Amino acid sequence: MRLYDPTASGPERSLARAAVLASLEGKTIGILENGKLNAMEMLREVASLFEERHGCVIGGIYSKSNASAPAPAGVLEKAMGEVDFLITGLGD
Amino acid sequence: MPFDSRRIHDVPGDLLAAIDYCYEQGWTDGLPVIPPVVERVEATLMYEGRPPEAVIATHPATGLRLTVHAAAVNAVMAGCLPEYFPVLVAAFEAMDQPEFNFHGSTASTGGSAPLLIVSGKYAEDIGMNADVNLFGPGNRANATIGRATRLILRNVFQMIPGISDKSTQGNPGKYSFCIAERARGNPWPLLCEAQGYPPGVSSVTVFAGGGFCNVENHGGNTPEQILGSVADAMANYGCITLGQSVVVLSPEHMWIVGGAGWSREDAQAFLFARAKRSVEDMRSVGKYRDSEYGKQHGASAHAAVEEGFVHRGLMPEDILIAMGGGDAGGHSCFIPSWSRGRGSIMRHKPIGVCIDCD
Repeated sequence: MRLYDPTASGPERSLARAAVLASLEGKTIGILENGKLNAMEMLREVASLFEERHGCVIGGIYSKSNASAPAPAGVLEKAMGEVDFLITGLGD
Repeated sequence: MPFDSRRIHDVPGDLLAAIDYCYEQGWTDGLPVIPPVVERVEATLMYEGRPPEAVIATHPATGLRLTVHAAAVNAVMAGCLPEYFPVLVAAFEAMDQPEFNFHGSTASTGGSAPLLIVSGKYAEDIGMNADVNLFGPGNRANATIGRATRLILRNVFQMIPGISDKSTQGNPGKYSFCIAERARGNPWPLLCEAQGYPPGVSSVTVFAGGGFCNVENHGGNTPEQILGSVADAMANYGCITLGQSVVVLSPEHMWIVGGAGWSREDAQAFLFARAKRSVEDMRSVGKYRDSEYGKQHGASAHAAVEEGFVHRGLMPEDILIAMGGGDAGGHSCFIPSWSRGRGSIMRHKPIGVCIDCD
């Protein structure tokens, strides 16, 4: 019996992880919040730990218009030029 | 991966062993599937004019693509007959529109299942059920088209329960959630007509639905009484949000509403005006948010929005109303949207035809 495989072919695009930061000291943090209740509070709390422990500074706060959809490409591109790393997470 | 590399699995000829093989591959929703033998898939593809490698939908986060061929494989597995295939294709064309956000609605803790509402003659042509036991069980077309939708989300888009589908409690509709709009005895224009499709063109509407809420009323005999019951269900504390709604009126209820001369638009306006909670009530259960109130009452607020109240949805048109079910019984239903705001907006597409295509 010959069966077709029901799964998808892989996407034709290359994905690569960003290079790991050599150090967190003094880096600029971005916050990407998803607009849900408590999201900003939770992310600011996390960012404050980086400020206290590693002397980081918050350099950008970005928002998603739709919590359950991918961040618009323009938002991520803007963040890339403004911060060293980005903190995001779910708020609800 | 190029289409030429469609993968074939050679398995022993025993049917039960092939069903077990599908389980072992992780291709099922927990129920047995029809092994997707080459011949059945090829027969299904005959119902689509585009080539097998044509892409119907793309996952916005992973880039995984649903081809006509992959849709046909999953349709066979779900138990679809070939003539059901155009409905499935149209459903994913509708779901592929960004406003529907099939990634978010499938991945979310909210437990959404895509509800498919098929309207027009094509539903009758393929033997769909719009009558007694509307939401099932019992009808092959309804059951298997809805099931194929879910199998595609699982197998093609890898929305795997517990991994990329994080629904807190799930939803029985995640096995299958597909109905036909009842035309027989319907006093209103069918949805496909209201949606503006030319005569003879059927449509499928997709809605990221939450759970099913039965609305029982055997005593009411005016539109206000019937729709008042529906509005109360729509405004219950667990459901009220700025999201859209689907209401399926049973024939008994529809004949009271339509028999009194109420149009679909009249009913939508009534439901929108009545499905509301006071700000004080919303605060009492911890669900009031200034931002949501502002969105509903801002500069673009609908004229029917009442000061001091939170309505369900943003406007009467956010409430889809259709007729369905058996002749007997004062049982309608309300299905809330998964989205608590505008995270998923219902979409529709014509079945088996291309209108204003490139």
